[in-house]
Amino acid sequence: MSCPNNQSSYLRELAAKKKDFMAYESTEVMTWCSGCGDYGIQKALERALVLEGIKPHETLLCFDIGCNGNGADKINGYTLHGLHGRVVSVAAGACLANPKIKVIAEGGDGGTFSEGINHLVHSVRSNYPMVFILHNNENYGLTIGQASALTRKGQAMNGTPDGVVLQPMNTCQFVLGLNPTFVARGFSSDVKHMTEIIRAGLRHKGFAFIEIMQLCPTFNKVTSAKWFWDRVRYTDQQKNYDPTNLKRAREASEDLEKEIMLGVLYQDKSRPSFPELFESRKGITTSLSEEVRPYSIKELIKNLK
Amino acid sequence: MKRTVIKVAGESGMGLLSVGNIVSKALKGMGFYVVSDREYPSLIKGGHSNLQIDFSAEPLHSLSKSVDFVIALDRPGLVEYMNIVKPGGVLIHGFERHQSIPNLETRAKERGIHMIYLPARTLAYSLGGTELMANMVLLGLLWRLLGFDLKPLETGIEKQFANKPKLLTIDLQCVRVGFSAQEGNGGFVGACHGAPTQTPDTILVNGNQAITLGAIQAGVRAYYAYPMSPASSILTYMAEYARETGLLVKQAEDEITAAQMAVGSMFMGTRALVATSGGGYDLMTETVSLAGMIETPLVIVIAQRPGPATGLPTWSAQADLNLAIHSGHGEFARVVIGVSDPASCYELIQHAMNYADEFQTAVIVLTEKTICEMQTTVPPFEEGKIPIKRGLLVTDPKELETLKASDRFKITENGLSKRWIPGSGKTWFYGNGDEHKEDGVLTEEGAEVSAMIAKRMKKMETIEKALPEPTIHGVKKGAAISFVGWGSSKNAVLDAIQNCKEKGITVNYLHFDYLWPFKTATLTQFFRDNQNVHLIEGNYQGQLGNLIEALPNLRFKGRLLQWNGRPFCMEDVTDYISRHS
Repeated sequence: MSCPNNQSSYLRELAAKKKDFMAYESTEVMTWCSGCGDYGIQKALERALVLEGIKPHETLLCFDIGCNGNGADKINGYTLHGLHGRVVSVAAGACLANPKIKVIAEGGDGGTFSEGINHLVHSVRSNYPMVFILHNNENYGLTIGQASALTRKGQAMNGTPDGVVLQPMNTCQFVLGLNPTFVARGFSSDVKHMTEIIRAGLRHKGFAFIEIMQLCPTFNKVTSAKWFWDRVRYTDQQKNYDPTNLKRAREASEDLEKEIMLGVLYQDKSRPSFPELFESRKGITTSLSEEVRPYSIKELIKNLK
Repeated sequence: MKRTVIKVAGESGMGLLSVGNIVSKALKGMGFYVVSDREYPSLIKGGHSNLQIDFSAEPLHSLSKSVDFVIALDRPGLVEYMNIVKPGGVLIHGFERHQSIPNLETRAKERGIHMIYLPARTLAYSLGGTELMANMVLLGLLWRLLGFDLKPLETGIEKQFANKPKLLTIDLQCVRVGFSAQEGNGGFVGACHGAPTQTPDTILVNGNQAITLGAIQAGVRAYYAYPMSPASSILTYMAEYARETGLLVKQAEDEITAAQMAVGSMFMGTRALVATSGGGYDLMTETVSLAGMIETPLVIVIAQRPGPATGLPTWSAQADLNLAIHSGHGEFARVVIGVSDPASCYELIQHAMNYADEFQTAVIVLTEKTICEMQTTVPPFEEGKIPIKRGLLVTDPKELETLKASDRFKITENGLSKRWIPGSGKTWFYGNGDEHKEDGVLTEEGAEVSAMIAKRMKKMETIEKALPEPTIHGVKKGAAISFVGWGSSKNAVLDAIQNCKEKGITVNYLHFDYLWPFKTATLTQFFRDNQNVHLIEGNYQGQLGNLIEALPNLRFKGRLLQWNGRPFCMEDVTDYISRHS
């Protein structure tokens, strides 16, 4: 592990909550490939939820379509396995209906940065109170290895045998350009670090964008575990890294080839989340889910008389 | 039934809408029943538009083609609308250079039309107004010709411009100048419209307002939309009412998002609504399919306009019935409802919310541009008439404790299973868009897949049994001519029934509020009881008609179809009747 943080206190804390952790563990047979980064991401998510004291019935886990979505029924808890590219929107609707339930959405690089990129853009802008975890394995895995917008240039993929001709997008730079309130990056083999940034995301009151650089040993041979371990760096080991400095975050997120920065790259705790912005919802403490009853229209039709 | 018809013609942006509002409200205040709608191109300013107001001392439902009074605000209004004023009618205008228009006077004389010119613009200027206030001058003259007191009109203007005191003073002066103008009545001797014997308690409302009010009454707490004519004004009304009701109104980045947010909110147990037009609905169809699969309520309003593609954004159609019935991949049960007037908008949207909850699937509500925007005087909407029904939604804490995950999609006789809100109980389930077992766990086993698809399809039968039969208007049997239809066609046929009754012809009409799953019992009986049954529909193919003729032994004697963007007028129906009865 290149992350030298002491593991013992983290493991002790987890051990004390072993029962809570086991509550998330499903008996369903996993269908991911051996060595897939999704295993690590799922464990980190479970650990983060446990350490934040959130029970399986107190969260809604929303899944996009793709390899990660195949984990939708492999974790205990309320889940919603929706449509390709749309997970952010369906999760946004859910979290607005009941902000008291922690809503977490997960999607891959294909769905999120091609078909659903508009949803991502406006969810970041809207600062919905939810966590989004991007599973970035740099390809469309479940449809057997086509290039995504995040596949590295020159890589031969299913459908692009002569190599991808376009430059990949830089996800964190893209999101940082949208004036977000929370951007973090992790690596699927570093479960402890992922746990930390997901915990930070769970505590964030607006839209938490978390990118996980994910191994795909089946279709992505170029960026192997070793490739990543040689390159990952951590913000908390940088001298004076200030996650409230947007410019610094943009710089830190830029390099995807030599030194890849992991950690909470940027956080703005001051901005209100979406439901707080509504004039019509000011002073209302119930959730929309609790408010379904007939509303009088008598006053409203007075000016139609 | 005596009906008076006023048409105001001019460029978009010349204040047709405010004239319409003022006149409609003034007439309503005097006890008249009013129906008003406008035709306009998809432009904000410029381009030719018109606004029509029909009024009567008796209830009326649709617009007539027989125009008594035209106010022409510009040259095209004057030239084009000459042809639609009925003989003996009046054309009021303020176009200074009217003498340069060839044959204008001759044409008016030939058609027996009283043409009255008033230098309205000059008069408005002389009072310190702008050229936009020419409409008020001409309106004043019209009011005199109608034989009315000035007072109700002044009250209407005061209401319309209450927050613009400076304009209000000038507008009132303009109307008074027009009312007392020296120009005379152009030989017109007086309007003949019955006087109301009482002032009925009514509201003046359009369909989109009614849908909004119905949704609020039904406990809708979130509205998600992307603007698209003619649904956009629902967004306006929802936002307007948000502060009083605590509604959350979100203009989404596209229609896909709006539908997804709605299904996400419904999954979490609230009531959400989405409205769009056909093109926007095309984008929502994958979400409709998802709602079918995860058995989550979803209500989408399609405000129809003619397609395909962008089609005619500001005109009317009934051409998306097939879309509503067949949209979305895969096989699943859904409900399709067609509204027809403000009262049905208000009530059917409440039923739509209930059916979505009860049957845990998508409900599509079809409206039309003419229903969306036509202002009609109707009795004030009642509250508490349609109680909120949430079907098998479990909220009792004790019952929540007894639930098993497999209760969520339990295979039952009627296809319906218990539903509960994430977080409300400790028993979680998987809302899985992949095919799944009773607890939502994915399955690709043939027998399990068959059983689960069959479970969801069983709802078709359950829904069909629960939906009300179509309604017969007019005599039950033995009519000289009968119609079957849905949507706004009802309004024209209702007026035609009344009109023909006065002429001694019995007409009846079978109206479908609930279009899918398709109800056949009353329909079949209607064909048995009536020998001359015709279809009326606002599309090319006769989409409802084709559904009906797919049934054994049901054949229409003829089809009254129209697909030119115009809703049916009373005369479209009465002319058809005179050819076919």
